[in-house]
Amino acid sequence: MTQYLIRRIFSAIVTIFVTTIAVSMLIHLVPGDPVQIMYAQSQGTTPEQLEEVRRSLGLDRPLVEQYVMYMERVLQGDLGHTIRGEQPVLDLLLARLPNTLLLAGSALLIAVAIGMSFGFIAAYRRGSWVDTGLMTAAILGVSMPHFWLGLILLFFFAVQLQWFPVAGNDLENLVLPAVTLGVTNAAIIARLTRSSMIDVFDQDFIRTARAKGLPRATVLYQHALRAGLVPIVTMIGLQFTYMMGGAIVVENVFGWNGVGRMAIQAIFQRDYPLIQGFILMFAVVVVTISIILDLIYVWLDPRIRYD
Amino acid sequence: MTDGDGAITGTDIAPASRSGGTIRRRRRGTLERFTRAVFGNRGAAAGFVLVVVLGTVALFAPWIAPFDSDQMGAGGRLIPPDATHWFGTDEFGRDMFSRVVYGARLTIQVGVIAVGISLTVGLLLGLVGGYAGGLLEKLLMRSVDVLFSFTETLIALAAVAVLGPSLTNAMIAVGIAAIPFYARVAYSVTLVERNRPYFQAAYAAGAGHLRLLFRHLLPNIIPPMIVVATLGVSAAVLAAAGLSFLGLGAQPPSPEWGSMLSAGRDYFKQAPWIMLYPGLAIMLTVLAFNLLGDGIREALDPRQRKT
Repeated sequence: MTQYLIRRIFSAIVTIFVTTIAVSMLIHLVPGDPVQIMYAQSQGTTPEQLEEVRRSLGLDRPLVEQYVMYMERVLQGDLGHTIRGEQPVLDLLLARLPNTLLLAGSALLIAVAIGMSFGFIAAYRRGSWVDTGLMTAAILGVSMPHFWLGLILLFFFAVQLQWFPVAGNDLENLVLPAVTLGVTNAAIIARLTRSSMIDVFDQDFIRTARAKGLPRATVLYQHALRAGLVPIVTMIGLQFTYMMGGAIVVENVFGWNGVGRMAIQAIFQRDYPLIQGFILMFAVVVVTISIILDLIYVWLDPRIRYD
Repeated sequence: MTDGDGAITGTDIAPASRSGGTIRRRRRGTLERFTRAVFGNRGAAAGFVLVVVLGTVALFAPWIAPFDSDQMGAGGRLIPPDATHWFGTDEFGRDMFSRVVYGARLTIQVGVIAVGISLTVGLLLGLVGGYAGGLLEKLLMRSVDVLFSFTETLIALAAVAVLGPSLTNAMIAVGIAAIPFYARVAYSVTLVERNRPYFQAAYAAGAGHLRLLFRHLLPNIIPPMIVVATLGVSAAVLAAAGLSFLGLGAQPPSPEWGSMLSAGRDYFKQAPWIMLYPGLAIMLTVLAFNLLGDGIREALDPRQRKT
């Protein structure tokens, strides 16, 4: 257990270390002169000013030195300033991160609740029309683009029925984006749950439990569900990562004020300090959350705990 | 993004029976299995038909489309679907049906180029990593793991941020983003194949590196990779449409489906058909490749077939 923990945290540190290298070098991969591109949209910048920016970003130094400079700043919590407005990148990101986590988290809850119950029912009624219907719905859900489902929900529930406002950042604005993100991912979880439960239903211990006359509910919920949950819980960490990625798109459909929406604007404005900060923060969040979920999983499954 | 339930591992999809015979005979067997997979499974057959329809539409777009995709004022502005304009017209009076038809060409391009990039690079990385062993294997596969934990959305966004928004760059970005996934599958299949008697025999007989890699390992890795690539087309189409929807891929007036949805957003209150058909087209395309990929996977994996 301790060994697993150490290995896991070590690999997370390696991932974040590699991210910092990639992020600090990102600007050099830009074809052409990054400083000129960054300021192409703001008029009246003199060559001297551009030179000044280049110096302040350290672009005139050797690469290794640039990386060391970058890391010194990052470790002090300084992710630089935005090109437009000269605002501190870290503050901007931290102000919006809770919104993105809230969206991804609620979507995950929706996805798990719908996905697991549909998958469980489909597996239990395997081969029936219920199974066929649910799995058809699931493959349609997997194939549906987030942003399109988002637009359709907006059209029906915000424009036609006017149950929800079209855009904004109150809790009632969370419903449609969370459902959009949750439903498409529920389809993935439903398919996984179904195949996992089918494997379990075929096993001897279930047959034994049935044969000794246990009530059906006990067999289903205490024996089968528990065993079937293990592979599904493993997937949830990965699902959360998908949710964070999907949130970037969905935030833009609904005007939800999270980091994803800000990142897309930053890409349009070629605001590289903000883009770099976003990538670094996103990687840290994803890695941290997947470690936490892994630990929960280890704690749930004694076979791993005692390995 | 890639393959929703993420359950593909090498062992899962490695062909089951591999009982000697010459390479030619085995290849015919594989082809036969594919044909049976496609036509013996309702879902896969439907997927195959849809893919053929998409291909036909793309190939014969100029003959199928009644108008040119960019022709403004082909009809009045925002006309609802009728006998002349089957899918209605957009805010510039362009015929939506013609635009959707021409969009099929771009979608096929996205699929071929993005999957081509991820398949070629991922396959080589996984193959070499699995074959080489030792330090090279560790180095390659650890880097792939690090990239994998970034999530595809983040890699794709970073790539677009560097390259700048355009459809070509979006295809490249989506292709790069999926490389870690393909590399992982290729790697795990290679590990399995490396321990099979045919490989051990060739190795003992003194075959050279290139011969072992490309004559012995590669032909056996291709079938499972075809499954991954088929499912990968749907992931790539979704991801690229998402980028275009965000404005980071195809730019107006390109009839790319994602960017059509993005442009139609401002009008969807008055003209919901603008967002209906391009979205439907994306969904059907993704669905087609999902069904086809699932069908082939089931045919190749006897464990799945019995359920």
